[in-house]
Amino acid sequence: MTILTVHDLTKTYEKSPVVDRLHFDIQKGSCVALLGPNGAGKTTTLRMLAGLITPTSGRIAFEDFPDHDIRAQIGYLPQHPQFHNWMNGKEFLVYVGQLAHLSKKEASEQAEALMKRVGILEVKNQRIGKYSGGMKQRLGIAQAMIHKPKLLMLDEPVSSLDPIGRREVLNLMKELKQETTLLFSTHILKDAEDVSDELLLMHRGKIIESGTLQSVRDKHRIDKISLHFQTEPDAYVADLEGLEVVESVLREKDGLTLWVKDLEQAREAILERAFLNKWPVTQFEVGRTSLEDLFMKVVNDDAMADHFQA
Amino acid sequence: MQWLTIFKRENLEAARNFKWVWVPLVFIILGVTDPLSTYYLPEILDSMGGLPEGATVDIPTPPPGEVLIMSLSQFNMLGVLIVVLMSMGTISGERKSGVAELVLVKPVHYHTYISAKWAGTLGIVAVSLFLGLLSSWYYTNLLIGDVAFGQFMQLFLFYGVWLALVVTFSLFFNTLFRSPGMVSFLTLAVVILISMVSNVLSHILTWSPGLMIPHLSTMLAEGSVPGELWAATSISLATIVILLIASTLVFRTKEMA
Amino acid sequence: MFETIEWGIIAPLIVIELILKIVALISLSRTNTTYGPKWLWILIILIINTIGPVAYFIVGRRGDG
Repeated sequence: MTILTVHDLTKTYEKSPVVDRLHFDIQKGSCVALLGPNGAGKTTTLRMLAGLITPTSGRIAFEDFPDHDIRAQIGYLPQHPQFHNWMNGKEFLVYVGQLAHLSKKEASEQAEALMKRVGILEVKNQRIGKYSGGMKQRLGIAQAMIHKPKLLMLDEPVSSLDPIGRREVLNLMKELKQETTLLFSTHILKDAEDVSDELLLMHRGKIIESGTLQSVRDKHRIDKISLHFQTEPDAYVADLEGLEVVESVLREKDGLTLWVKDLEQAREAILERAFLNKWPVTQFEVGRTSLEDLFMKVVNDDAMADHFQA
Repeated sequence: MQWLTIFKRENLEAARNFKWVWVPLVFIILGVTDPLSTYYLPEILDSMGGLPEGATVDIPTPPPGEVLIMSLSQFNMLGVLIVVLMSMGTISGERKSGVAELVLVKPVHYHTYISAKWAGTLGIVAVSLFLGLLSSWYYTNLLIGDVAFGQFMQLFLFYGVWLALVVTFSLFFNTLFRSPGMVSFLTLAVVILISMVSNVLSHILTWSPGLMIPHLSTMLAEGSVPGELWAATSISLATIVILLIASTLVFRTKEMA
Repeated sequence: MFETIEWGIIAPLIVIELILKIVALISLSRTNTTYGPKWLWILIILIINTIGPVAYFIVGRRGDG
């Protein structure tokens, strides 16, 4: 059952589209990762879905609630959630719970339950100003869930956390996806693979690939050859690109990765070239691309550095 | 009831950061300044040694009502300044920090959010003005002469409308700009502009909200509410309503981005 | 000089000013970060009447208090 349909969604800032005619839907109970490099338009997309900004054009439809304020059905965690630091955690949850039409009693019970759920019950009476980054992120998830939304949206939920914090939040997300429909954005493929079942790969405001993890993997399973040399590999790039059977060449940290059309032909052609020119090849490996390669291929023009950092 | 939830949270914040304490106290201090200094003026002059030996200068004591008007003038300078500074971050601060995001992803109407915040600020300002003017009235009665309680209430209500207008201007700029500094600058600029233009063209712009205090002085002297005062009050109230509606509309188009 | 001053009249004003200073100092002690050093704010609150505490409340505190 479809819970959310996005049709031709576009957001334009000063005439350049940040989000460009998006078209996708989300099934009830699924866990979808909106994956893409920084600046791909992920946050803008989520903010439109959350009702914080108005689309330039296009349509967002919640199947069950066509006429209501969609915000009642959505829980949203911004990338850098900010709280009233003078309030304590529970007070804040009760506050936003009441804003989502819970009674004070309901909000209070739900707040306690959620704080227990995300593991911050012991600091419920502490000022939020004293919370650590991981605690704030978990409070953020709790505030997004306070009104039992049909769809939970998390914007880069782990990007600002240290390794322990991110592990904890990722595990929490794996639990949450059993209970609710989850849509989260990330620029780290591994996090998407780790938690989600479905993928929306976004680049420069467009969705360039989507589907289940497995289907995307299968679709993009193409042959590749990786080559390592004793010397700097840059000298051979032009030569290899000249080969008809080679589709593209990617310069890696310690070698080259080649996407090829036909593995047999390519192997022959490359080995021949290497033999004739006496290339100091140290490693020759034949394989198939992973999702990682696809992601890298897609974003390598402007976001590779960012990916390696993460 | 969402409106009450936001309104209560505003007041809780004002209690925790002592706004509910210091703003009323400052208004009380401002309120007692004029009755006291009027009463002690001879001593103050004397202590400065300004009067030559044997010279007797009769300093006419102003009528008691005028002392209250002097207090209102105090509120109109320092009081307005404080009102503007205490309200400059009401909404802009929440948007700048990002807290507004977490509030506005919940199903809250913009007019609920804005009117609750407006009422929160107005509550503190109204109570502060009341206590300040009450202190002034009490000291004036004690030291200078009687002013009827009814007249005190008239002063409070009419002048309160002007301060409410100042609060509303501040709120309006809060929805337009994200920087509290910008909000306070523009609010002060508008208030000063209104006062200056009204004073220069006082014979033409008799209905201007900026002439509230002279009209109130007339009211005390004549014992009845002059028509210009009603006009100024009506204009103020209408402006408040328009600004509140405009704030909601502006806020809707200004994205949280 | 000022022998005519009736302290019953002035005393409330002094009390109010004291409350204002004390409240400002309590707030200062609870605040983690201020603009400028804390000791400076203590001096400003104590020495400058009315305006000192008001200045602290308006511009002294950083963040949400």
